[in-house]
Amino acid sequence: MKKLLLGCACVLLVASVAPVLAHHSPAAFDRTKEVKLVGTVKEFRWQNPHTWIEVIVPDEKGKEVVWGVELTSPTYLIRAGWKSNIIKPGDKVTVVVNPVRSGEPSGIFRSLTLADGRVLTERPARLGTPDSK
Amino acid sequence: MKRNARVTAGVLAGILASACSPAPATTPQSTAPAAASTAAPADAGGEGKQLSALAPATVARMAKTKAPFDLTGNWFIDVSQNPEAWRFGPPYPKLTAASQVHWDAAKKATAEGKVYRDDIGQCWPAGLPLIMTRYWPMAMVQIPSAIYMISGFMNSVRIVYLDGRKHTDPDIIVRTYNGESIGHWEGNDLVVDTVGFRGDHHWMDQGGVAIPAGEQLHIVERFRMVSEGKQLEIEYTMTDPEHWEGEWKSTKRFNRVDDEDIQEVSCLPDLNEHIKSTTSKTQILQ
Repeated sequence: MKKLLLGCACVLLVASVAPVLAHHSPAAFDRTKEVKLVGTVKEFRWQNPHTWIEVIVPDEKGKEVVWGVELTSPTYLIRAGWKSNIIKPGDKVTVVVNPVRSGEPSGIFRSLTLADGRVLTERPARLGTPDSK
Repeated sequence: MKRNARVTAGVLAGILASACSPAPATTPQSTAPAAASTAAPADAGGEGKQLSALAPATVARMAKTKAPFDLTGNWFIDVSQNPEAWRFGPPYPKLTAASQVHWDAAKKATAEGKVYRDDIGQCWPAGLPLIMTRYWPMAMVQIPSAIYMISGFMNSVRIVYLDGRKHTDPDIIVRTYNGESIGHWEGNDLVVDTVGFRGDHHWMDQGGVAIPAGEQLHIVERFRMVSEGKQLEIEYTMTDPEHWEGEWKSTKRFNRVDDEDIQEVSCLPDLNEHIKSTTSKTQILQ
């Protein structure tokens, strides 16, 4: 059964080194929490400056909630093995995000698990350095 | 969005036209030592108009001076040692009262889990200096009379004139977020002086630190090549008496990126409908 696993939020110690991978401030996100979204892809937009995913996730009462997941740009995602057709509407996925601090259904991307078990993440933005590829 | 695309296309077209022109030389390294005639001619275009930096006559005139280095390439802020290296502080200068109120408001907002006036996130231009250190590369194309910079972040265009012109009369300058940049060579350094900034929705930092950039902002950058041309170093000296005391100094390094090009990037009208954090209750917009 599809389920929003808010109970799996865990505390991380990486809050102080979160870089600005977005066009906007990262301060909106609580980097000490992770929310695991188990749901269905509503839309996946492969575009600059940010790729985004909308995931339909039932809340605790069974009501469908659309979560907005913000990712970095395709430039960096390609380096991490992503493709524009890696997911499509209707796909069953598990997405882990750092949620916005307001409690609204929005978060910044941490990882994506596809139906076949493959796990995708982002890569650090270190273009021009030996570890950039 | 459409305006940005047109500006970018125009700049690129200009660069291509210049590169294809029959001017004697558009490559700095291939030219003769400086001659007295490289000074910008008064009333060069007639009726008081400045001759374009892309005019073949301007390019030819400036090509008489051999540039110490060529910035042409893609450059990306070096965050290999510090992921926060995109910021120009700490250290931060002593703020004026006009600026301190924003600093305090941002700290209070952060403590409450909110974001204070993140104008870049609302699609306002980052502007100088932040446009130089976004997490997207900046393409630079250098010709003898100018350097054209196009950021991978929103395709923001910055032009550094090298043709000997003076800053535009403050009474007629069109203020912008990247300002008006004029550079000259000092030994092996390129020194760029920038004024003419917009003073609204323009910030010196982001993400919990709010220091406004005002119309009095004046930025001097000293560019030099290091690490055998693999890195660009820029020393920043920034003043804005409305918002901080004295000189704010910071030195940044950028890595040359040879395996990536910038792409078309716009803050489309529907972007933030889907980047939901920017419209969430975390945002303090005023």
